[in-house]
Amino acid sequence: MNNRWRARRLASAALLVAAMAQAQDARQIVEEAQKRSESASQRYEGILQVIGAENRIATKRWVFERLGSFGRSKALLRFTAPPEVKGVALLIMNHPDRASDQWMWRPAIGREQRIALQDRSTRFFGTDFSFEDLEERDVNQFDYKLLPDEGGQWKIESRPRKPSQYSYSYLWIDKSKYTIRKAEMYNKSGLVRVIDYRDFAQVRGIWTARTTEVLDVKRKSRTILKFDKLEYDIPLKEDLFTVEALRRES
Amino acid sequence: MKFKAVIQLRGVCKQFDGKRRVTALEGVDLTIARGEMVSIVGPSGSGKSTLLNLIGGLDRPSAGEIEVDGAALAELDDDGLTRVRRDKIGFIFQFFHLLPTLSCLENVSLPLHLRGWPRKKIEQRARELLDLVKLGARLDHLPDELSGGERQRVAIARALSVFPPVLLADEPTGNLDTSSGIEILRLIRDLHERLGSTILIVTHDAAVAESCARTIHIRDGRIAKDVRR
Amino acid sequence: MILLRLISWPYARKHLLRILLTIAGIVLGVGVFVGMHTANQSVLAAFRSTIDRIAGQTQLQISAGEPGFDEDVLDRVQNVPEVRAAAPVIEATVSTDKGNVLILGVDMLGDRNLRSYDLEGADESIDDPLVFLAQPDSLIVTKTFAAARDLRINSRIPMRTMDGDRVFVVRGIMKPGGLASAFGGNIAIMDIYAAQKIFGRGRKFDRIDVALRDGVTLDEGIAELRAAVGPGFQIEPPSSRGPEFEATSRIYELGSNITSVFALFIGMFIIYNTFAIAVTQRRAEIGILRALGATRGQIRTLFLSESAMTGIAGTLAGIGFGVLMARVMTGYIGGLLEEVYGVAQSAAAIEVAPWIVGAAIAMGLITSLIAGLIPARAAAMVDPVKALQKGSYLSPGEGENRSRRKWAMACAVLSILALMLNRYTPVFYGGYLLAVMAAVLLAPSLSLQVSRWLRPVLKGIRPVEGGLAADSLIQGPRRTSGTVAALMLSLALVISLGGLARSSYRSISEWMRIALNPDLFVTTAESATARSFVFPASLAAGLRGIEGVAEVQLVRSVRVLVKNVPVMLVATDIESLARRARLPAIEGDGDQMYRRAAAGEGVIVSENYARLHGARYGETIEIPAPEGTLRLPVAGIVRDFSDQQGSILLSRDVFIRYWHDDAVNIFRIYLKPGASEAAVRQRILDAYGTRRRLFVLTNGDLRNYVMRITDQWFGLTYIQIAVAVLVAVLGIVNALTVSIIDRRRELGVLRAVGGMRRQIRHTVWMEAIGIGAIGLVLGLALGAAQLYYTIEIARRDLIGIDIGYAYPFTMALALVPVILSAAYLAALAPGESAVRGSLVEALEYE
Repeated sequence: MNNRWRARRLASAALLVAAMAQAQDARQIVEEAQKRSESASQRYEGILQVIGAENRIATKRWVFERLGSFGRSKALLRFTAPPEVKGVALLIMNHPDRASDQWMWRPAIGREQRIALQDRSTRFFGTDFSFEDLEERDVNQFDYKLLPDEGGQWKIESRPRKPSQYSYSYLWIDKSKYTIRKAEMYNKSGLVRVIDYRDFAQVRGIWTARTTEVLDVKRKSRTILKFDKLEYDIPLKEDLFTVEALRRES
Repeated sequence: MKFKAVIQLRGVCKQFDGKRRVTALEGVDLTIARGEMVSIVGPSGSGKSTLLNLIGGLDRPSAGEIEVDGAALAELDDDGLTRVRRDKIGFIFQFFHLLPTLSCLENVSLPLHLRGWPRKKIEQRARELLDLVKLGARLDHLPDELSGGERQRVAIARALSVFPPVLLADEPTGNLDTSSGIEILRLIRDLHERLGSTILIVTHDAAVAESCARTIHIRDGRIAKDVRR
Repeated sequence: MILLRLISWPYARKHLLRILLTIAGIVLGVGVFVGMHTANQSVLAAFRSTIDRIAGQTQLQISAGEPGFDEDVLDRVQNVPEVRAAAPVIEATVSTDKGNVLILGVDMLGDRNLRSYDLEGADESIDDPLVFLAQPDSLIVTKTFAAARDLRINSRIPMRTMDGDRVFVVRGIMKPGGLASAFGGNIAIMDIYAAQKIFGRGRKFDRIDVALRDGVTLDEGIAELRAAVGPGFQIEPPSSRGPEFEATSRIYELGSNITSVFALFIGMFIIYNTFAIAVTQRRAEIGILRALGATRGQIRTLFLSESAMTGIAGTLAGIGFGVLMARVMTGYIGGLLEEVYGVAQSAAAIEVAPWIVGAAIAMGLITSLIAGLIPARAAAMVDPVKALQKGSYLSPGEGENRSRRKWAMACAVLSILALMLNRYTPVFYGGYLLAVMAAVLLAPSLSLQVSRWLRPVLKGIRPVEGGLAADSLIQGPRRTSGTVAALMLSLALVISLGGLARSSYRSISEWMRIALNPDLFVTTAESATARSFVFPASLAAGLRGIEGVAEVQLVRSVRVLVKNVPVMLVATDIESLARRARLPAIEGDGDQMYRRAAAGEGVIVSENYARLHGARYGETIEIPAPEGTLRLPVAGIVRDFSDQQGSILLSRDVFIRYWHDDAVNIFRIYLKPGASEAAVRQRILDAYGTRRRLFVLTNGDLRNYVMRITDQWFGLTYIQIAVAVLVAVLGIVNALTVSIIDRRRELGVLRAVGGMRRQIRHTVWMEAIGIGAIGLVLGLALGAAQLYYTIEIARRDLIGIDIGYAYPFTMALALVPVILSAAYLAALAPGESAVRGSLVEALEYE
């Protein structure tokens, strides 16, 4: 009887250790993926296609610039086409310890507008991204758990530590290149979004997906974002990424 | 026999159309001479009141002809009938039918007013008539303040107001005590003698009937007997 | 109740027309009550549902009156942890070629946290949200709105904005239901920041709609939000916007209540009249019943049951009639909402609330029972022996008349006593009731007196018929007094309503002469009261520079809540106002009050504000403002008709300081001597009319506008007058019908002894005209007293302004031919029925 009890305790202790080791592994994998994609700055021209439920396609273009990396970056996204949306811009200031600050600039009424935290789960201008999806995330903002491999890739469960629209996500990570191939986001009621990363190419040593496809599960609509003229580590001025600059640049 | 007919009925019928058709009078022929005083008797529902109403122009016969003092009633419209009533006939009702809101004098004046007489003349005549029925002292009394017999006397005065050739009385004593009844009968007889009016009296009262020179018995809408004394 | 079936029902069936006429009063009284309240309730319910629809999941709304508040409040609200979502809103009404539409300016990003717009198309989304936001001319309209104007996605629709005429583009169409059904679909959604610009609102919001996190109670939410935004803000559930409308509709409700009570009162007399006569006519029947062993109690119960049945029949018909009336009136009341909300509210469904039905039945029943009381007692008193004697009439007891006169005198004395003590509201209303009672009790004696005066007149017209008619009036008070009382009350009501209108117009004209004396008014809308758009203060300099302009007054008028009641705050240059348009002080010193107000040391309140909200001269008023609570003493009270709920005049500088708002609603412009009104008007339009939304009204335009509003205000009054006249006419018809039936034998005798048809008709007609004339004399006289009370009630409880006493002589004169010819027309049918029909039956009629 005494033995039996001891055996049980040993077993649970062993399980606990295993779980910790796994967690460690999952976090290390994500950390590695983050490290491999790290760059001081980034610039690309995006081509955005929203394919609605009726297969109606709307195309938009934007220029994306980022300065700094994981957790501390600032990003500016400015629409260039079609003409009726040209000039609309989104400024994102990421913070390691809390949700990002976001501002939208609307040239036609000549003013910026803060995107409130409560609104981050809303769709980003009719695309299938939400405002939150545009934030850059640091590995430290999540808890990870390694799940059994799928299709030769690691499958990792990630749970946000800060308030988020998502309860948890699954990430699929390539074992050789440490690139994220697929992500599934879940909230309380189930699967919300699926993001596929494709067309990987190496730019300045960084494997980057040049096509990102988001599927909104509920609405059954897709958004395809293609990266064009992708550059890393280019010189960008810090003062470009301010609210004042938004005004100035329009 | 030489007399001038003041009332003439030929084949007069009267039916009432209700849920059940009731024949009140059937083929009545009757001639009444000027100055006659006739009583009409018969059991309840025999048609005697109907006969009186037809002669008085209050109602129209279903068939037959009625002539009163030369006027053929069938040919007259409502206003014509009214004119006959106004000029040729005086009514005396069992229930007096005085207007309760008018004084004796006013009640008697009423038919004269309706003919548009000048006011002075009306008052003079009304006073005369009320004197005639021995009510000269109660000119301004309302009907409510009079006894039954007195009310009937007012009614008689009213009936006489234009000295009509024909006086029709429907149970004039029917609503009166015996002594008042006798008094009224006496008054009627007296007037008949003094004014020479033709008088028709519908009555239940044997005494009243017998006081007339002629009595017509009606039964089931027909003249059963025509007795002259 | 076997008696009811055996005795009453055959009688009622025989006299169906009479019964119908008898219940007419109840039908109208109940109908007006049910109609008005149902219409009000239905519109209110529709309005509440509109508020709910617009509110969506909003639990609390933060607002600071019409001026709105700065944008940064939103951050503070969104940072409150208890808040799940907070979305700013701007509301504005814009007129289109097909009526007004409410534009809801919302934050397109966050608003869906609170409201759901079901949009057309499977995408359930605006065609392109980015385009919607990028282009400030974007508009989401409702399917109904689009269908009415044949609009599709990307259709263009022109509207007048602060920047002049602008074309908007439909970028989304909402499916019917929910938000899209608010205001019958006359609602459109725009981005709030675009709306700020288009409506000239600067960086301000009208309100913030808040949804709380799960588990947070409303009270906790209010407390946290209060701490976050500070005083000067209202934080309330959306449903509490109802009272604003209720305050407007309350006046109409009270007014219609008075009409209802009058109609019922009149109905009571008509019932009394009919039953009193029925008792006389049915004496023999009662005698037989008594002879057969019916007790007095049974007879009384029989007659009371009959009147109760009549009352219920009338009530049921009245409820039906009321529902019909409600359909008509909802449109009217919905229009009133336009004043509050800018968009007409139509009631989709008319629902009669159970309490209205209950109250209506109670009213109808009580009225008819009271009306039946005296006749029932008379019936119970019938002596069986006498009743069975044919041919005798029941004459009205002189004793009854005498005791009535005694009571009347008592009522009159008490009502005069009440007048002396009329500071106390219950005493005042009691006195009012007593005065009416006195008049009603005196009506028979007075009508007798007037009949006596009339006799020679009628006799002069036609000796026989006139005399007979007059005698019938004099001798049959039982027959006529009820009608005369009903007629008297109706006419008194007409006179008092007409007088109220006349006094109001007189008083408003006087106010306009002093207060609205500028030559031109520059406004943002055709109507001077629309406050959706505002001007920037900077426009004043431009206007001053226009040739011919002598002086420009900047007026900002906003509705704010003071002690939770919406009150009009008027901020302007007091010094200039005192110089140009000085209203006489009702309380306070005329010079000093303007000086103090100009210096920002006090406010001048309108008489109705003081009266309705109990503010006294010298007392300090607290007005919540975004800057904090403004506390200023009442420096004076003036008679001002600017607003139904009352207005507070304060210095523009103070307003700007406390509300951070220097916008202007109206510029009042005085011209230099000799300058042409038309020329200056054209110069202003040339300078600004094309560039911005701007209207220039001349003094005459504005006065006409005020008069039009006043007319609209009195629209219901005229309906009430029509109802009163209708009841009066019905009363006459009833009385005559009853009178003819009652006098059938009498008229028969008249015909038997030689009365021509023409003569009989004339008698009936003259009697009718006599009743009309008596009613007129008494009604116009009672109207004078009634008008005094009405004006007093208006002053105390309705508009709060002493509008002064002005007897409506023109209306009184106009009523004479109206009532006399109504009486004549009413007499036509009874007159015919008097000469038709069997004479024999008439003579035997009992």
